[in-house]
Amino acid sequence: MKILIVDDSKPILTMVSNMIEELEHEAIVAENGSAAYDAIEKNPNIDLILLDWNMPVMTGLEFLEKNQSESIFTIPVFMMTTENSPEKIQKALSTGAVDYIMKPFTADILENKIELLEDLLGV
Amino acid sequence: MGAKKEIYDFFAKYVYDKTGILYKETDYYRLDSRLKTIQSTYDLKDENNLLNFTRKPFKPSEEEFILNLFTNNETFFMRDLKPFKALAKSLLPEVKKLHPNDNEISIWSCASSTGQEIYSIYMSIDSFQKEISLNNVKILATDLSTEALAKARNGIYSSLDVQRGLPAPFLVKYFNQIKGEKDIISWEVNASLKKWPTFSSFNLLTDYYPSSKYHIIFCRNVLIYQDQENKKKVLENIYKALKPGGFLVFGAGESMIGMNLPFKQVEFDKAFFYQKV
Repeated sequence: MKILIVDDSKPILTMVSNMIEELEHEAIVAENGSAAYDAIEKNPNIDLILLDWNMPVMTGLEFLEKNQSESIFTIPVFMMTTENSPEKIQKALSTGAVDYIMKPFTADILENKIELLEDLLGV
Repeated sequence: MGAKKEIYDFFAKYVYDKTGILYKETDYYRLDSRLKTIQSTYDLKDENNLLNFTRKPFKPSEEEFILNLFTNNETFFMRDLKPFKALAKSLLPEVKKLHPNDNEISIWSCASSTGQEIYSIYMSIDSFQKEISLNNVKILATDLSTEALAKARNGIYSSLDVQRGLPAPFLVKYFNQIKGEKDIISWEVNASLKKWPTFSSFNLLTDYYPSSKYHIIFCRNVLIYQDQENKKKVLENIYKALKPGGFLVFGAGESMIGMNLPFKQVEFDKAFFYQKV
């Protein structure tokens, strides 16, 4: 799988990239929502996006809202954020995210969420 | 190393005799953190104290503590959505077809650990099965560990727990968030699900199994810790406890190879189950 990680924190990008490579997937990174759209344009074969919520330039939610109104891509998105209120989770899901990872998380959680992706899309 | 080896051998044998869970010599390092917990709990300063502790019979409270400690409680919610979806969509209607006069579908989660499996069953039925009400599904959740059962009964999980195998749409639908001390967040299963299961302590190796009682028995990733002989013994008892045509739900990587038992493998919605012949 080719997985795009969108986060404004360099340490998080490095940590999650390492986890993804350990799981034998390919990781690419972007620092905010706007940069993520550029990455999607350059990489047409992305299988999954891991998306932070709070980022400068374009937040994760703005990224989802733009896609919801303009239908730019159909790649599944997991939010990956410290935001953990049920309202925020519900908001992200209703704006197009298919699953939600609350930080901090462990590699086995990420691995299982990726494994569940196929089943989840059928939900 | 003498005392240490004797301690390892003692607890490996004790846990095997009581639960059938195998710790081979190559796995002895996995006992270390648990042995440290025993030392700190019973104020045993060094290995010699620990060794002396093993030389007299345990009190019932000590035995309960030790068995809670050595049983494996690592567990996911669905881990794999397929068997749960298949259970709700196809297996339950199949059970209704096989037993049209039974008002209730009886499910036993025989090593339910901290409850993730039974709540996953309820969530799946509620989400994927519109014809059968939770009112007509009776789940008995048993485990050897009383600590695990207490957690299952409470139905309160950490943010890490609820992310193990549970898709977020289920989290927001079936859990309430609780803020504890220092704003630590946990998640409680909705009262609408928590009211259904019955909990009880049960030792798969030594306790008495009822005959022809359950339509479905969940025994996922439990027998992987047992040797062939105990595995066979438990499966024979599970066979006995199932109603005619009843289903055993096994872990994804588990098989019945070499068991020579009258189960047939059946497939529903890309998930495999074992049916009592």
